[in-house]
Amino acid sequence: MSEVTYASVQIGDTLGPQEFYLSKDQVRAYAKATGMWVPRFTDDEAARKEGLPGMITPGNMSLAIMSKLVSDWIGASGARMIRLGTTYRQPVLPDHTLTLQGFITHKSENDRTAEMDVWVESEEGDRLVIGTATVHFPR
Amino acid sequence: MAVDYDPAIIGRVFETTDPVPVSAEAIATFCTAIGETNPIHVDAAAAQKGPWGGITAPPSFAVTFRNGQHFFQHVPRFGKQGFDAGKDVEFGAPIRPGDAITLTSHVKEVYEKTGRTGSMVFVVVRSTLTNQHGEMVAHVDHKFMSRT
Repeated sequence: MSEVTYASVQIGDTLGPQEFYLSKDQVRAYAKATGMWVPRFTDDEAARKEGLPGMITPGNMSLAIMSKLVSDWIGASGARMIRLGTTYRQPVLPDHTLTLQGFITHKSENDRTAEMDVWVESEEGDRLVIGTATVHFPR
Repeated sequence: MAVDYDPAIIGRVFETTDPVPVSAEAIATFCTAIGETNPIHVDAAAAQKGPWGGITAPPSFAVTFRNGQHFFQHVPRFGKQGFDAGKDVEFGAPIRPGDAITLTSHVKEVYEKTGRTGSMVFVVVRSTLTNQHGEMVAHVDHKFMSRT
């Protein structure tokens, strides 16, 4: 696959879809690595006591997963993500398959940036986490 | 319900943390946890030939820095339950092993919104991350939502 360049980017170009299975152990590994070891992110029963359907994925981990979708699209092109905004709409439950995708919404010639919508989708097709990112392509 | 808070809090820095050291190991553990395999983040030899001349943390590492103990004392609360509604992050200098990151935080804005499920208040707290060279590493806007 050839690397993305500013000139080659077109509005409507897609990121992903990337499908992956997010395990509870991976969520626990994230919680441990980032100092977020709290029951709602590590234990089903404790999460249910808080009124949740089971242990949930930290919002920051969803952000990291979306960030990686953008990084994978950037590849080794030398472009750089300069902004990522996320909205956590619904809990992301582990031990499910998630789909990550996005598309280019805007290009700005003046500052050589591309903007994109990105999201994390459940097996039911719900957009659990939505976001926008801006990528800068240096000359 | 009117949103009642002291407007003087907007923009006033309420906390500056001690510098938090970033180890190569912390970056490596983070990469493993999110499944990051890009050589510029995980392979020292490959990263040396990359744009930054060495390993850098993935951008999302910036949101792993925690605010200090004063955080919840200075952030106004509304309603009963608060939720983390999302984050907006602006990325500056990359984070590298050996960095020491300081967080400086202030309340950026407070606003009310009425949606399908009723009235909500959003409190946006901006934490600015600065490295030991005084470079801006990231502005992290935390969006807290409460139902009123």
